[in-house]
Amino acid sequence: MDSAAHSPQDSPQVVTGTGGTGGMGVFDALVIGGGIAGLQTALDLADQGYSCAVVEKDASIGGAMIRLSKVFPTLDCASCITTPKMAAAAHHEKITLLTCCDVDRLERVNADEDGGSLVATLTQRPRHVDIEACIGCRKCEYACPVLTPDAEQGGFSGRKAIRIPFSNAIPQKAVLDVEHCMLCGKCAEVCPTQAIRYDQKPEQLRLEARAAVLATGFRLSPVADKRQYGLGAIPNVIDSLQMERLLAPHGPYGRVLRPSDGMIPDSIAYVQCAGSRDASMGVGYCSRVCCMYAIKQAMLLSGSLPLADITIYYMDIRAFGKNYEQFYQNAKAMGIEFVKAKVASLDPTEGGAVTVHYEDQTGAGVATREHDLVVLSMGMLPGWQPGQVCPVAIAADGFIDTVAPKTLPSLTAMPGVFVAGAAAGPKDIVDTITEAGGAAMQAAKYLAARAANAGLARTPQARTEKASIQEASHG
Amino acid sequence: MAERTNHNPAQAPADSQAPAHNPAKNPPPAQNHDQAPDRNHDHDQAQDQAQDPARVGVYICYCGGNISDHVDVEAVRARMAAQPGVAVARTNMFMCSDPGQELIMEDLRAGRINRVVVASCSPSLHEGTFRSAIARAGGNPYQYEHANIREQVSWVHHGQAATDKATRLISAAAGKAGLLDALSPLRVEALRRAVVIGGGVAGLRAALDMADSGIQVLLVERTAWLGGAVARLGRLAPVGEDASGLLRGLAGQVLAHPGVTVHARAVVSGFGGYLGNFSLTLSRTPDPDVNADVNADANANADAVADAAPLSKMPSKTPSKMPSKMPSKMPSKMTVGGFVRGLGVLAPTQPDAASQDQGPLTVRTGVIVLATGHRSYTPKRGEYGYAENPEVLTLPRLIQHLADTEAETGPLLVLNGRAIRRLAIIHCVGSRQIPGIHQEDESGCLNEHCSRVCCAASINAANQVRERHPQTSVYELYRDIRTYGRGQEEMYAKAAANRVVFLRYSADDAPEVRRCPAGQGFPLEVAVRDGLTLGQELRVPVDLVALATGMVPGPVAELVDMLKLPVGADRFLQEVHPKLRPVELPLPGVFLAGTCQAPMDIGEVCSAASAAAVKAVALLSKGHVELDPFVAEVDEQACTGCGACVAACLNKGALGLETLELDGAMVSRARVTPALCLGCGACVAVCPEYAIDINGWTLAQYEAMVDRIVCRLEGVA
Amino acid sequence: MGGQASVGAQRKILILATESCAYPGADSVGQAHASYPANTYILKVKAPVLFPERFYLDCFRKGIGGIIIMSCGEECPYKGAYKAMAQRLDRVYAQMKEQGLDIRRLRLTAICTVCNRAFLNEVNQMNQVLQELDAPVQAQA
Repeated sequence: MDSAAHSPQDSPQVVTGTGGTGGMGVFDALVIGGGIAGLQTALDLADQGYSCAVVEKDASIGGAMIRLSKVFPTLDCASCITTPKMAAAAHHEKITLLTCCDVDRLERVNADEDGGSLVATLTQRPRHVDIEACIGCRKCEYACPVLTPDAEQGGFSGRKAIRIPFSNAIPQKAVLDVEHCMLCGKCAEVCPTQAIRYDQKPEQLRLEARAAVLATGFRLSPVADKRQYGLGAIPNVIDSLQMERLLAPHGPYGRVLRPSDGMIPDSIAYVQCAGSRDASMGVGYCSRVCCMYAIKQAMLLSGSLPLADITIYYMDIRAFGKNYEQFYQNAKAMGIEFVKAKVASLDPTEGGAVTVHYEDQTGAGVATREHDLVVLSMGMLPGWQPGQVCPVAIAADGFIDTVAPKTLPSLTAMPGVFVAGAAAGPKDIVDTITEAGGAAMQAAKYLAARAANAGLARTPQARTEKASIQEASHG
Repeated sequence: MAERTNHNPAQAPADSQAPAHNPAKNPPPAQNHDQAPDRNHDHDQAQDQAQDPARVGVYICYCGGNISDHVDVEAVRARMAAQPGVAVARTNMFMCSDPGQELIMEDLRAGRINRVVVASCSPSLHEGTFRSAIARAGGNPYQYEHANIREQVSWVHHGQAATDKATRLISAAAGKAGLLDALSPLRVEALRRAVVIGGGVAGLRAALDMADSGIQVLLVERTAWLGGAVARLGRLAPVGEDASGLLRGLAGQVLAHPGVTVHARAVVSGFGGYLGNFSLTLSRTPDPDVNADVNADANANADAVADAAPLSKMPSKTPSKMPSKMPSKMPSKMTVGGFVRGLGVLAPTQPDAASQDQGPLTVRTGVIVLATGHRSYTPKRGEYGYAENPEVLTLPRLIQHLADTEAETGPLLVLNGRAIRRLAIIHCVGSRQIPGIHQEDESGCLNEHCSRVCCAASINAANQVRERHPQTSVYELYRDIRTYGRGQEEMYAKAAANRVVFLRYSADDAPEVRRCPAGQGFPLEVAVRDGLTLGQELRVPVDLVALATGMVPGPVAELVDMLKLPVGADRFLQEVHPKLRPVELPLPGVFLAGTCQAPMDIGEVCSAASAAAVKAVALLSKGHVELDPFVAEVDEQACTGCGACVAACLNKGALGLETLELDGAMVSRARVTPALCLGCGACVAVCPEYAIDINGWTLAQYEAMVDRIVCRLEGVA
Repeated sequence: MGGQASVGAQRKILILATESCAYPGADSVGQAHASYPANTYILKVKAPVLFPERFYLDCFRKGIGGIIIMSCGEECPYKGAYKAMAQRLDRVYAQMKEQGLDIRRLRLTAICTVCNRAFLNEVNQMNQVLQELDAPVQAQA
């Protein structure tokens, strides 16, 4: 056993600027977004030998998926599917990860010179931790006296001002949030590697590449936008990602409890299309995942709270993916109640329950029912507004426009720039991963063509005379 | 185009992989004996191992409660730490996470351990994760054994029994791990070639993507036409692209691509070899009479009485020339690259295919992409009046009619000379079937899946009818409207604006299609209990009923048999895992593209096809691939050359007897050809001297595992 | 290690499960969270044709109560392996009879990747057999 075999590639590669003067790097491709779409794209590009930089705004890669509990229709734990891909990307010699990075500008320069190159200007926000020195031991986190609501846990539990973002984050490096830090110095005292940098400044990075893939994902439509559902102010009305945290193995309470008083809910309702198919919110489209995640959560809830009644108020159940309809029928067979109705409004009650006013389309018009806990199945909004940052075209739905949605679904209006996953419209994980592979294929083809034009043929076998595959024989 | 069809394979550039002798006398698997890779047996390493006693590291996962809720993980850790041969025993919340893997890597680097056991979820999920972590830390990834204590313990057992069983399984794994030798992967040269089976949109997309990446592609299509199911479509949902234009574009690129050879009218009739070096036998379908296709088109999908009258016949455009080989009754208008609605784009006739009496053709390839597509569900006789009433047809037939008559407008839709005043479209025919409500087919199967595309296709058809024929009313009878895709909800809203009437039925109270009572002036009526109007029973007299038939798996039984392909409960081809490996099959080097896997729309098909292509390109990019070294190995000292193993071998050619010099004497010994060895172990059981074993799966390892399962362990059942 | 059998070892069931069919089938039972007796020890095999006659007899001698070979049956990826193994089992049964072992302790069955019910049936049936066979032994003791 040769311990000298330990190579630098054993730890995730992270580019950092040096001393605030700014860093730079040249890659074959940039992947904007380190969620499942970006990671799959980067892996598929890197496996063909292309170097990629993955630019992630958060302190960890993994995106929305790593924050989920279990995923439909197999009920695998999301972490079990995401972590290997995260680790594979982090360890891939052709992949460089950049976390805490915002894209300030992404544009093509010198376009007339053989297509030019894409240049991204990034700001790396300070972690206030030296990422090279930090060993992820969490001593700072244990020592920190500041407790603040943890957005990673749906705001239900607390976190420290300095912490590892979450248990399976990559990189496993601490991040200090200055907004809540009291500068008490306790973290710096306990840090065994003197990695705390209170005075760390944002750094400008400049990356250059021939191609880019936008994998900027989605954000959940905010409950606060929905007047009829209480603008987020009614106790015990939560959104679906909050429920995801309540159900997760690392969740805030370790079990499902009603947030206002810690009661075990006997009756839980899902309001479907709470943030989708609703012109009043400016979201006319279907978010594609809400039916399935509501059914999935309902199944998980009926496992953890076998006595609870679970009701799903829906317009249409859209269980269209492979094995999804079977999943839906199983949920019905398990006794989850599906009520075809549009929920008109929600009201708080004194005891903490929530009154649901709905229009029953199979019964006698308007009806009301009380539930201990109401989950709003919020939809997907674009995760990134290119605005002045990048001249890529946006469609009427706000997501990145694709120019050949049937034959080349990853093509954007900007040459050399491709799109994958929910950045091009709401999408579930299965479709996202497949689309990411497709985007990697098209980006690789673009890179190969550019290399061929530049006389740098990567593959000597490529585009040679047509050799026949059949040398064998009749017989 | 001309040089393509004249291309003679015999004049192909010499292929470095191809043997010089006449291959017809040596079937492909046998050709490769001399190139078959030998296992890189690292003797130095083996000697190191011999001197270095096994120190097993045991790592037990909590799986965030998935395991630790039922297995006392810390108790198991303590028991394992006390077992002989176990150097360290550790636990982690998520062993698959980076910190979890780091535990293993650190122990390896520090020299504390030289064998690894991870106890976590099923090895199908993370065996590879941990093997690669071991390799990164400088260990041998094959000195690893996995204990499955989630799927096979914590999810099925509880309490002390779960903790005890987990202990036994981990102990057994540690017992095996102690006996694991260092192995190296087999290196197999990979042909930079791909065979795509199926010439629909999925096959065309995958072929183009791989060819553009420098891989030689052979596209096999059963019919004479490229385009598959899309050839029957017209204006596509939601924004109305023209399907024929789309197909002409894709097929045109494929036909013009120097890296793609199209073999139309061919089917795969034989299969052999392995990743990097498969061999496929192609048999030609007998009659290269394209004219017959065109004439048969009306009947090819002819599913109902109504469809007996031809909906479409010939292309409206007039191509310039007629291929010389075409039979005389071939209409003078067809040419390669020409498009016929319902059939597709005419593929070229390969010169070798055109000559008569040719036997099957054998091709060699590095990878295979399955793009065999789906077929449209055929309703049973009497299902919603199908085949009993001439006024009932399938939605695909209606769509094809709308495409064929695209130029026609007028107050009323006219079909087979009949003016259609009211049209009813019934959704979910042959899809979303529920046990106990729907009737199984002859083979006892139900189509429980949603076909994904029919809602949008129905509404798209309804909009076209309403916009072109404003006097024809359209009723959509649906269960749930699934216009999930980009732009589809807008199309649904447009249908409402077009005054398409939506009626909602429930699966257990399906609409009835029957002859209309006399005097009503309509041939049929549809009776439905409408869920949108408080369950009111409505009777809608109609002129035409279209059944939105779903997608069912294509006829691929022979391929499934030949390649041993896994098939899901829905009878579509089954990927390894929908998220981890969505376009891969357990057979390395074989990929899935498009609707052979599940219903998809065209954009989704192209994404999936490109995703399959990217995996294939990555595999072939190096010109070689590495395979697991789990093959038979002979102990030449113990072998007596009796030949029992050779007789028992299930893959002829993998084992043979050869004469070699051993300790100064010429002796006969069994010899394994590793690239051909399946690793099944049939030879192991019959060896009287116990002189042959499967690397990584030896009999001694199994015996050690059984010993650990039955042995006395303090306090463990 | 292997000498003494632990208490209750005669009730232990060894399951030889093929990696392409029965092993994922057992995983599928787990994914469904269907409970079954914990005296079952599943070993993954490429193909059970690997095991010689003596392996089975050794297992019984070591104290294994029952063995279920969960193969792929007709779906076997190794053409001919199933037939070769079925013939071998006939010889094993003959030797079991000679040694006074009830042949119901060894069973060959086919389990596919989604055969949850069949898997549970096999496990329960073998347990019934073992209970029946063990009862008189324990009465004597």
